[in-house]
Amino acid sequence: MDKLLVSPSPHLHTKTSTKSLMRDVVIALLPAVVVSVLFYGWSELLVLGVSVASCVLLEYLITKYLLRKTCTVGDYSAVVTGILLALNLPATTPWWIVFIGAVVAIGVAKMTFGGLGQNLFNPAIVGRVFLLISFPAQMTDWTRPQGFIGGGLDALSGATPLGLAKEGGVAAVADLDYLDMLFYNIGGSAGELSAIAIIAGFIYLLARRVIRPYITLSILVTVALFSDIFWMIDPATYTDPVFNLLTGGVLLGSVFMATDYVTSPMSNVGGIIYGVGIGVITMLIRYFGAYPEGMSFAILIMNSVVPLINKWCHTKKYGRA
Amino acid sequence: MMKTFSIGGIHPSDSKISKDCRIEVLPVPSKVFISVAQHLGAPATPVVKAGDQVKVGQVIAEPAGFISAYVHSSVSGTVKSVGPRKDLAGNNMTHIEIDVEGDEWIEGADLSDTLVTEIPEDNKAILEKIKMCGVVGLGGATFPAHVKLCPPPGKKADCLILNGAECEPYLTSDYRIMLERSKEIVVGAAIMKQVLGGCPAVIGIEENKPEAIKAMTAAVAELQKTAKGYDGISVMTLKKKYPQGGEKQLIDAVMGRQVKSMGLPIDVGAVVQNVATSLAVYEAVQKNIPLITNVMTITGDCLPMEKQHNYKFRIGMPLSYIAEYAGGVPEQAAKIISGGPMMGKAISNMDATTVKGSSSLLYLTAEQTVRGVESACIRCGKCAEACPMGLEPFLLQKYARNGMMDELEENAVQDCIECGCCLYSCPANIPLLDIIRIAKGDVIRIIRTRK
Amino acid sequence: MTTTIIWTIAILTVLGAVLAIVLYVVAEKFKVEEDPRIDEVEKVLPGANCGGCGQAGCRAFAQFCVESSPNLDKCFCPVGGNDGMQKVAAVLGVEVAVKEPQVAVVRCNGTCENRPRTNEYGGYQSCRVKAALYSGDTGCSFGCLGCGDCVSACQFGAISMNPETGLPVVDEEKCTACGACVKACPKNIIEIRNKGRRNMRVFVSCVNKDKGAVARKACKAACIGCGKCAKVCPFDAITVENNIAYIDFTKCKLCKKCVAECPTGAIHAVNFPVIKPKPEAAPAAQKTAPAAAEVKKSDEPVKKEE
Repeated sequence: MDKLLVSPSPHLHTKTSTKSLMRDVVIALLPAVVVSVLFYGWSELLVLGVSVASCVLLEYLITKYLLRKTCTVGDYSAVVTGILLALNLPATTPWWIVFIGAVVAIGVAKMTFGGLGQNLFNPAIVGRVFLLISFPAQMTDWTRPQGFIGGGLDALSGATPLGLAKEGGVAAVADLDYLDMLFYNIGGSAGELSAIAIIAGFIYLLARRVIRPYITLSILVTVALFSDIFWMIDPATYTDPVFNLLTGGVLLGSVFMATDYVTSPMSNVGGIIYGVGIGVITMLIRYFGAYPEGMSFAILIMNSVVPLINKWCHTKKYGRA
Repeated sequence: MMKTFSIGGIHPSDSKISKDCRIEVLPVPSKVFISVAQHLGAPATPVVKAGDQVKVGQVIAEPAGFISAYVHSSVSGTVKSVGPRKDLAGNNMTHIEIDVEGDEWIEGADLSDTLVTEIPEDNKAILEKIKMCGVVGLGGATFPAHVKLCPPPGKKADCLILNGAECEPYLTSDYRIMLERSKEIVVGAAIMKQVLGGCPAVIGIEENKPEAIKAMTAAVAELQKTAKGYDGISVMTLKKKYPQGGEKQLIDAVMGRQVKSMGLPIDVGAVVQNVATSLAVYEAVQKNIPLITNVMTITGDCLPMEKQHNYKFRIGMPLSYIAEYAGGVPEQAAKIISGGPMMGKAISNMDATTVKGSSSLLYLTAEQTVRGVESACIRCGKCAEACPMGLEPFLLQKYARNGMMDELEENAVQDCIECGCCLYSCPANIPLLDIIRIAKGDVIRIIRTRK
Repeated sequence: MTTTIIWTIAILTVLGAVLAIVLYVVAEKFKVEEDPRIDEVEKVLPGANCGGCGQAGCRAFAQFCVESSPNLDKCFCPVGGNDGMQKVAAVLGVEVAVKEPQVAVVRCNGTCENRPRTNEYGGYQSCRVKAALYSGDTGCSFGCLGCGDCVSACQFGAISMNPETGLPVVDEEKCTACGACVKACPKNIIEIRNKGRRNMRVFVSCVNKDKGAVARKACKAACIGCGKCAKVCPFDAITVENNIAYIDFTKCKLCKKCVAECPTGAIHAVNFPVIKPKPEAAPAAQKTAPAAAEVKKSDEPVKKEE
């Protein structure tokens, strides 16, 4: 370099970038993706492919031609949204419904607010909830497609464990094997399949210091405590804590969706309040609401109060009581 | 359990490449330019004029105000001119140009190597000597040392903390003096401790310098055995975390106390001095040598091992002369920094000269130092996690960009210590500190005018 | 059924009456007495809320005008200009003196060619940040830093950066002389000067206080403080202090003698009609000063005909 460079301190910079953070999230999602593809086969691959491709394409088109600003496709955030959206849908979802979900997720939930960093709600969840309300039949069609392995798992096809519990009470899910569910869950959207895969992703994210554990753990603890109390009161009416932790999107949601930087509180205390709120709302919907599963709604509701939480919860400052 | 400060902090790579290079003495060039602004506070007033003969250690500028310091000639010879010259930042500052002739010292200066362990009893005389010898804090802020050593009435020092943390990557000058001049540092600590009324003294050193910890512990033990007045001095090992050497962070780590916002360390009974300052105090009080030398590190990843140095320099030497003597500026160097990579200043003008607080010539390559393109804030909160003062830089920069002064003050922008942790850790390359630093200045000005 | 309707009507009537009384009482009790002229004055103001008048905004200025009426000497809205002030005076029924129209003038000619870069700035693109850090990326520690703080300070879109010279350019048509750019510039380069007769102005386009040789080394177009201009000026309009010449625009009679005399071309004459250019002066000015207001030269003939 012929001329000396001059800039204010600091002169060193971390190697972590927005891109590397998002890439780490993609890596953390891989176990869940692999498991879902293995068990749901080609149709899951199609859902994933359509979702990721359309999210990336839409982000590119919108930033380039509508917003006319620097294209943000390279930062992997659209890929993350795409994967999360796909993992939140049944593996049998037709491709055009997936595409509509991507349009809502990227176009409505992300870009109308100004793109990465500006959106109030988690794009993937907005997309999923939009589809759930608009296409209830397709979105609750839990027929299991033929996977690459384990084709004979369809003992309970047609409904998720949570759906069964909602309709038939605790007795309907009494014969579920929790150890089975830990490795490959029975019925549900693609990402709910294996608890272990998601926990592996969680550990990776923690090890890479991508996320802090407060939000995830506070959700899980709240769900467990809440269901524990009700289960102890009346085990015949209310499902038990382990069942509630392993089923539905609780794990996927608490590890990957609720911890989304943009739509979660900045401080640790705020994160705990947010997590407890999500846990309580999820369980209220599960036990008393019309839907069998409440994670998506709970996250969206708590997303909307994040600005308030941020306003009230600040970090502990040095030298101030 | 090793101690460290309680909030935030980062772990940049250590990079103490030059740590095994012994301190070498730089030869005096034919001409020096001594700045009158080598300390925090008002620039000193020159008391020599062109044509005057000066000796090494002679006063050439006197303090202009309470917070100011004496400046001494670092060479003997003839004053050629007194006038403006560009400083490190390229701004005009009065420099005294001296043509070097021989190396004749002022009378009374003890240039021998003998260790003087007996501490004079008269505290007033000690303070006067520290002041007359122009000793300033050498940890970076160059605050006049005698001012810090006189607690205001009603305040008492509970602990003297010697800062040997050297938490900035690359720098090794403090490490080298702790190895090579350990006993002198301990004597300096004992002097300052006595002036402060006999409070205990703690020498804080980070765990990544085990040899310095060993050397300092041995020096303390030996002096405690052989001489009087060395009780209550101890060495404390600290965890490696940046900015451990920040005054407020060090007080938190060593004493478990936190300085109130806009407060001074003495409010919680702490006085912090750098180990290099301690050495300067020793030389001033025991040897009658004013502060005209210091140790600087010449380093960088792009320098081969044989070109890494720790030099004892005299003030007023042009940086270009030092760089040339050390083997030239490496081809790959994109940025040259005076000080550490986290808080040091990028040099735009190699004709600038060394000052009391110079601590390094650090060569960084473009790959290491060029900032990435700024992108949107993803609200990851990494800056708030890293801030050792518990501030929320993402919020402060937003307020600052919108000129929201009340909100900035409410969110404690005035407490920022400019350590650079926020900008270091931001994945979106947002120039957090650049913006916050300006806002901090504005808010402090508003607070001052209000008083 | 009927009773329900009657009850509804009755309750709503009572509720309405009670609330009306409450509203009336509150309105009476907390009524703020305000001079109605303030509203009227505010209506004729431009409503830019730029603060160029020295008040917090247009409403505050209106209040200030009403308070200081009938003497409006201290009130001047740079955006509305003389016309605006005449309107204000008319509303208040007083007279107001006509002020010389003014314009912002950039006093630096350190183009990339005149003032070579000596280092590269890699921090946040803001003049304030850059000025707080060091003297800038050229040898001149007084000149324009080129990050465009003045551009973002201007509410009227009157300043833009010229990418070729790296210096700000003032659009005279849009400039209201509100002074926001003057406050934004950390180097105090921009000055508010009288627009001058037929927009013609002569000014020193440099603020370098270094000694001649140092200044000249840093920038070819620097004022070296030689004082030749002060000697040649027939009207005593030029003073040289701290190695820098300054032309008092109230005394300058636009004779342009100083422009011809200046050895570095630091003195600029803008918006003069191009009739018979002096052989030395014109090429020098053209060579060294393509920046600033001179760009507007082409618009000139049209304006004079008005």
